[in-house]
Amino acid sequence: MSEQSGPRGQTVSTSFVGRVVGTEDSTPLQFSVALGVDSYLQLDDVVVTERAVPGLAPVKTSGVVTEVRARHEGANFGSDVFLIADGVLPAQVQEIAEVTTTRVEPEFYVPPRPGEPVRRATGEERAQALYFDRMDQKVPVGLGRDGDPVYINLEFLDGTRGGHVSISGISGVATKTSFALFLLNSIFRSGALGRRAINAKALVFSVKGEDLLFLDYANTRLNDDLRGDYARLGLPAEPFASVVFFAPPIPDDLSGRPYVTGRTSGISAFWWTLAEFCANELLPYVFADAEDERNQYTTVIHQVANRLRREATATGDGGAVAIEGQLLRTYDDLVDFLFKRLTDEDTRRDWAGPVTGTGTINAFLRRLRSSLKPLRTIVRGDLADTADRRVSTDNQQITVVDLHNLPERAQRFVVGVVLAAETARKEAAGPGGLLFTMIDELNKYAPREGTSPIKEVLLDIAERGRSLGIILVGAQQTASEVERRIVANSSIKVVGRLDPAEAGRPEYGFLPPSQRARATLARPGTMFVSQPEIPVPIVVDFPFPAWATRLSECGAPPSAGNGSVRRDPFGRLPPVNDDPPF
Amino acid sequence: MRFFIDPWDPGYGVSLDVDEIGESIARVVADIELPEDQWRPLDPGRKVEPPAVTLFVDGVRRIDARVWVGEPADDSIASLALCASYAAGVVCCCAAKGAHLLVSDVRRGLFTTSAHAVDIPTRAGTYCVSRADLDSRIASMQALSLALQARLGATEIDTAKVARAALNGHGLSETDDLLVIDGPLRGRQDLPRVLGYIKSHRREYLPLHLRRLVVSLLPGQRTPVFLLEGSWDRYAWYLRLPCTVGAPWAGIVRLECSATLVHADAIGMAWLSQATLCRYASVEYKDTRAPQNLYPIAGLERQLRRRLGDAMLLYRGLRRAGAYR
Repeated sequence: MSEQSGPRGQTVSTSFVGRVVGTEDSTPLQFSVALGVDSYLQLDDVVVTERAVPGLAPVKTSGVVTEVRARHEGANFGSDVFLIADGVLPAQVQEIAEVTTTRVEPEFYVPPRPGEPVRRATGEERAQALYFDRMDQKVPVGLGRDGDPVYINLEFLDGTRGGHVSISGISGVATKTSFALFLLNSIFRSGALGRRAINAKALVFSVKGEDLLFLDYANTRLNDDLRGDYARLGLPAEPFASVVFFAPPIPDDLSGRPYVTGRTSGISAFWWTLAEFCANELLPYVFADAEDERNQYTTVIHQVANRLRREATATGDGGAVAIEGQLLRTYDDLVDFLFKRLTDEDTRRDWAGPVTGTGTINAFLRRLRSSLKPLRTIVRGDLADTADRRVSTDNQQITVVDLHNLPERAQRFVVGVVLAAETARKEAAGPGGLLFTMIDELNKYAPREGTSPIKEVLLDIAERGRSLGIILVGAQQTASEVERRIVANSSIKVVGRLDPAEAGRPEYGFLPPSQRARATLARPGTMFVSQPEIPVPIVVDFPFPAWATRLSECGAPPSAGNGSVRRDPFGRLPPVNDDPPF
Repeated sequence: MRFFIDPWDPGYGVSLDVDEIGESIARVVADIELPEDQWRPLDPGRKVEPPAVTLFVDGVRRIDARVWVGEPADDSIASLALCASYAAGVVCCCAAKGAHLLVSDVRRGLFTTSAHAVDIPTRAGTYCVSRADLDSRIASMQALSLALQARLGATEIDTAKVARAALNGHGLSETDDLLVIDGPLRGRQDLPRVLGYIKSHRREYLPLHLRRLVVSLLPGQRTPVFLLEGSWDRYAWYLRLPCTVGAPWAGIVRLECSATLVHADAIGMAWLSQATLCRYASVEYKDTRAPQNLYPIAGLERQLRRRLGDAMLLYRGLRRAGAYR
């Protein structure tokens, strides 16, 4: 059969896979390839074809396979397949791959001509097709389907030309958090940041169990295959080196120990003292429900917060405050105090403002009272102050704040207060270092509808953060439920496995239809990465974490010297085998 | 050479079935396999296995344009000619590779009675001259059509020979194949292990009492072998293919094999055809000529027609070639 699509009188390289078909329109941005008998192309393969243009250098069109079809040519009925399989009816199986163009070089947008040979792009040609050759600093994000590394341009991560990462996918299967951490690891360890790596920090809010509390332990499941994957990506297969962990204190416990079960050392409890609560006007973050801003009582919040700042004086070293002569040691004390002041006819005017009605005040008080249970463990005046209770990113590369034991309202409070403080600090420090802020369940903090103080902080980061050096790495199950301006401001969009209904939403318009369908069956560890320079999202597999993700995976303990939590309070005592002095 | 493309649709004036022109049967010898008075429907022989390889040969033809070829001396005198594309091919049905196209050969010809005609090169291919002889008994158009049919037949034989040669690579014993030619065997008897396969019956060869037997055949049954003697001799038999029984001659095909065989070999071919062909019969809803138009042949015709090229493109190529002469 002479018409099998093999080479005909032309010298073609061994990477030849087929020819541009002429039965479907070939356009500069999309064309189809009929595959040779012994060739195959799978989704995401990178191919390249060349054509001559009169008076110009040959135009090279590169692209990514976005669909592959196979059918019987010569069969008219569905049942013909049985005849063909029985050897009764002659027919031919033909596979056709649809290619979406990624790059045309030189930039003459002419369609590849039917009949032109198409070859698989490897090495230099693959890098060119995916624009890796134009990236000055590139961060590996995983291995492509062909087993070679895929990069993203650091300039779209560090704020130079863009910033922020949005990661979406079904929880449990989409491995959003693992990917975010892998990305952070890549940014810090790939060498792309150069000397800036010293001043680059990450702040990670952990909301799902204690998965992220073992980042500094090697993973016992790390084997040679996995090491090979990391080596191909140019990354060390090592746990994070410089990490500090924070967790809320154990409720109803006066020792101030962190409330975690798996990790016993190298973790500090964090809380805010009543003195800080008053002085820094943290009261608005208590009212962080999305609907709250529409109500009247928000004016009361600001009146009260303002008054607290002016009236409260710190007393003692536990962070207790004295207001109008009363000593308040706990959050309950503070709420009781405010309750009395606001329900008293004489003092109400001073605390809530002159024209506020009792209905509004009652609404405020009702909500304030409901915050007692969530917040009483993290707003304290009764614990001995320690140096490492303050959540700060100063002394280490990665700061993990564990929120999973806190009620949702307290989680919002913590995220809001910490982010506001870090934003203020970066603003004061000027654009020097980078702070990558990873927030899971972003839809909880920056929902599409309504406003809240936390959403304001996040929007500020999304819109202004990249000039301040704050990069938001947000993960959410459904990008459609996150504030549009935050998603729109993300340069890097990443999608793991999606719910079929979610995949159809316009937020995922950057995925071509075939990838949308595919995202509904993506396996854990497979992500679709979209970046501004490459017109088609690229599918990557990122390797299993080299760090432990649960207690049972913990291998070698981290070496000493990893920042403040490594300090051993008994380190200066004499060793136990010292001779007794008698 | 000056020539003009006739604007009429190429299909006009050639509606003649050319299969059996000039055929005359002198005699039917009925008692080859069974004596004439013992004729009965024969069921498939249990011990006969289909061959490892069955080859189906067929050709397709299409008249691309009717052409007026001018005489060099006088432009006002022109004779009618045909430009046609024709192709022959062989499908091989074997266990290893299923049904696949083994060989195909596409040709284009200018069929003319003019002595001055030369090849016509076009952008879509060259139409090579084939001269047709005028026959006073038939119209010139039909003579041209006959010439085309003869060329197609010759091409079919060529491809069949090439296919047989190509089979050597199949790793089979040389004799375990069967060649089925679509149409009468005339002129192709000298190929080994070959059957002629005739789908339509315009002539009644058998006397009435034997024709009744043909009509009474059940699906899968055949008549005994008989010998046709005439302008050319061959063995023949009728076979009813699997079909829903309706019209008396539904699903009946006539098979021919070379008269150079001895009686026993011809009878062997008949048993073999019965064991082989029923499996390839098509069904009504898939083929308008079912069941006689066998699946491999239908598939082959589709593939060959595809290879003839686009009719409009060729017609345009011819007009262009005519205009620039």
